[in-house]
Amino acid sequence: MVERLGIPTASIIGSGFLKQAEVIIKGLGVPLAMGVYPGTPMVDSEAELKRKVEEVLAPGLLRGLTGEAPSDDETTAEPQPGEIILRGTFDDVQEHFYRQLWTDGLPIVPPTRERVDAFLEFTDRQPDDVLRILPQEGREASVLSIAVNGVMAGCRPEYMPVLIAIIEAMCDPVYRVEDSGSTPGWEPLVIVSGPIIKELDLNSGQGMMRVGRQANTSIGRFVRMYLRNICGFRIPPGAGDKGSIGQSFLVAMAEDEDSAREIGWPTYAQDRGFAAGENVVTVRSVVSITSPMYSSGDRAVEHVQQWTDLIGGSFTYWAHTGFKTGLWSPLIVAGPSIAGVIAKEWTKDQVRQYLYEHIKVTAERATHHAHMTSTPTFSFENLVKDGILPPEYAASKDPQRLVNVIIKPEMVEILVAGDPGRNQSRAYMSNHVQGPPTSRRVVLPRKWKQLLARDK
Amino acid sequence: MARSTTHTHEPRYDVLWPLSRKAVKRTAAAPRIPDLNGKTICELWDVIFRGEIIYPLVREYIKARFPGVKFVGYAEFGNFHGAREHQVTATIPDKLRAHKADAAIVGIGA
Repeated sequence: MVERLGIPTASIIGSGFLKQAEVIIKGLGVPLAMGVYPGTPMVDSEAELKRKVEEVLAPGLLRGLTGEAPSDDETTAEPQPGEIILRGTFDDVQEHFYRQLWTDGLPIVPPTRERVDAFLEFTDRQPDDVLRILPQEGREASVLSIAVNGVMAGCRPEYMPVLIAIIEAMCDPVYRVEDSGSTPGWEPLVIVSGPIIKELDLNSGQGMMRVGRQANTSIGRFVRMYLRNICGFRIPPGAGDKGSIGQSFLVAMAEDEDSAREIGWPTYAQDRGFAAGENVVTVRSVVSITSPMYSSGDRAVEHVQQWTDLIGGSFTYWAHTGFKTGLWSPLIVAGPSIAGVIAKEWTKDQVRQYLYEHIKVTAERATHHAHMTSTPTFSFENLVKDGILPPEYAASKDPQRLVNVIIKPEMVEILVAGDPGRNQSRAYMSNHVQGPPTSRRVVLPRKWKQLLARDK
Repeated sequence: MARSTTHTHEPRYDVLWPLSRKAVKRTAAAPRIPDLNGKTICELWDVIFRGEIIYPLVREYIKARFPGVKFVGYAEFGNFHGAREHQVTATIPDKLRAHKADAAIVGIGA
């Protein structure tokens, strides 16, 4: 951005991030001068860090500002959208797509014109409609690209309205799709709400987060395929996805809305501000998942106390990233039997308030975690001063004071789903401001019912 | 992944390109400044990865070679990554102009 203002700029890049930088440079269309820090600054002694800066990084930065201007030699011509790029057998297609880094390592469904057209029938939008130019490769998020990648991921044509809503949500700047390749290796989670859950046969019951049900599985796979092919997040031998260890794609989640209604709780989509009966897609990041949370008893507090222990135990460490940014969000998937017990006594807001008040960490421990990760300058006092955290986080200077792990009660999300025959819940943690819950209505084509009836 | 096969009766698939058009507006790099004496370098930092140590060392290194260079520290610009990324980023061009920036150092991607 600064270089675009006509100001010569040199960037500090860790040597492990050079491939990532190359992808970003191509996507921005701006050549970048770099000073390279060899290795990982977070594990070097102060003497070693000083030596590396003086011998490698600083000379590189100086060259970047005073030497020859960097140039961008990107000249590769690419096919046109919708162009046939290969004619071959099933195996030929798999091999070619794999070598081009266009697949996730599993076989894909060959995206033929006929199959893609079948998807396009399920939207009233034009194939060349562009939702946004997406980072980090600067490619168009076109309706056609959604259909092609939907085919490849093994979706059915009738999933197309959901796929478009997913990409619309991910195109929202608030979602920060550009951070999808950050080192924590978070994964997008799609949550489907509304009557379309049943129309598409999504599993919201036992085994809901397993692969096995086509809609859940292929929609989840589609998201990762789209991030790879249109945004350019690829692990080696590609580049762009710097998830240090990462995790596999998450199958799409759906709420057991019948159970939610039965116990008198608003559905997840209603919590998100939508009317009952609306079809909605929410996309949010997941950086960490609790162990299965078993709880028993016929009183609300017994279950929510157990959630407090287990969510606190699992998520307290990473909450420092939320403190730095003023936002993180736990999503609780409450087993239907457990939700039923709680709902007899408590509203969802009461559950949120209890968790907010009871999950605590000492200021010293949270500060330590931030120092360990990336931020030796972390300070609750500064975050409060900057208005990122509420004043209570700096109410005292005692390092042993307890602060709330959950910044605001309303950041807790609750959804009813899972095995009605067991007393289990689970919680999913977002990656602070990267991939906050972002929702879009699912827009069905005018002939939805006819098309659905025809294809069944 | 599967290897290519040549069974003559196997169907052939005409497959579409799975990517989409790049819409990148290319910008040439700004001219460099061989002599930094009398020039102003602005620092932008995302407040991670030990920049509080790295930036002063870089400053010292450049000043040793160009004693007349002036630095505007990262605190003037705010954290361009994190809680207020979009808001902070939007203010940077005006701040760079206000400080009459001749060059910039941005980091830390590590």
